[in-house]
Amino acid sequence: MTPFNLQIITPNGYFFNGEAESVIVRTTVGDKGILARHEPYAAALGTGKIRVLRDGSYHLAALSSGIIKVGEDKTVILAQSCEWSENIDIKRAEFAKKAAEEKLSDANLSANEIAIAEFKLKRAINRLHAVEK
Amino acid sequence: MPKSSMKTIKRRIKSVGSTLQITKAMEMVASSKLRRAKSRAEALRPYFEAHAELLSDIAVSKPDFTTIFTAKREVKNRLFIVIAGDRGLAGGYNTNLFRLVTDTEKESDAPVKYIAIGRCTVDFFKKREREVIAEYPYFCENVKPGRCADIADVVTDIFKAGEVDEVKLFYTAYVSALRQDVTVLPLLPFTTESGYSGSENSRSPLINYDPSPEAVFDRIIPKMLLSIISSACVQSFASEQSARRNAMESASDNAAEMIEKLSLQYNRARQEKITNEINEIVGGANAIS
Repeated sequence: MTPFNLQIITPNGYFFNGEAESVIVRTTVGDKGILARHEPYAAALGTGKIRVLRDGSYHLAALSSGIIKVGEDKTVILAQSCEWSENIDIKRAEFAKKAAEEKLSDANLSANEIAIAEFKLKRAINRLHAVEK
Repeated sequence: MPKSSMKTIKRRIKSVGSTLQITKAMEMVASSKLRRAKSRAEALRPYFEAHAELLSDIAVSKPDFTTIFTAKREVKNRLFIVIAGDRGLAGGYNTNLFRLVTDTEKESDAPVKYIAIGRCTVDFFKKREREVIAEYPYFCENVKPGRCADIADVVTDIFKAGEVDEVKLFYTAYVSALRQDVTVLPLLPFTTESGYSGSENSRSPLINYDPSPEAVFDRIIPKMLLSIISSACVQSFASEQSARRNAMESASDNAAEMIEKLSLQYNRARQEKITNEINEIVGGANAIS
């Protein structure tokens, strides 16, 4: 397949910057696959897995809260955090999941605190899923 | 000259010397922290610029749209996010920023809420009994995107809820090792003119926004705030270290100068004492013969 330039950028710098043949992302309205010469496109990404097809095999990464922008010459994914599945710290994710669950079991939380804890729980579950697959 | 004075000078040299050691060490610590902060600011830049570019793309392709984040409202309540240092001994770093904040506060009668980042900021506004709705001491040294996202979420939530009508960010921009500027940046309501335009090309890119430009835009705003806040934190931290390094550098210079002066005084006193002793001996010898 024709490769295209893919950049995944997080607050810690470039997470990925190179050629990819295909990338599948989870937007807020459903999964979306991007190939080379895709029309210009922009969408918000939820917390989920992304798959990057490169050298004939899919590389899986866990992504939290981002935006994708497909331009003419390159595709940019902006994410708050992103990790390859092989680099995920399972212990840490499990710990985060437990902590978030405990926090959510507390009855008197503000709406904002609930939202934050839910986001953390989702992110931890997503990381664990990405490792299993 | 009496002996006790020589002793005092010696003691002073010693005390200035140990101060010099401390200021030298602080200078060194500050410069190594500065180096780290600079590389972190470098890493953050692509993230920040990509957001700015996307925002200006949306603004260019659909200039007439308004969302809750862009609509200007009558300012009844204000929110100031203030980023300053965790520690003192950094020259005018903290005081300069707080002066700008209090000056801006006086510009209008609308009450101000504060989000204080940095221990000195928290202390400053609590002591003056301002309404601090959230405090983040010891935040800037190790900026985590997740915690900046928390701040951004708090800000967007209370702005959406109509609790505040204007959000301003105060921080110290790092220009160079010798120059740091105290800066006030209007965050919300959001205007694309206010310095965020990433790309200069005004050609309208036909982009398919999923589900709609407004939805994508509203999604970007919290992320944009996140990247602005974290970049401001990193820059403030770099400025703090730079200010401290400069302050400590001049303190070390002063200490070194003082030691030089005191040693001169000490040597003079010692010389005088020796001369006196010789005089006494010669006088005594003359008296005997």
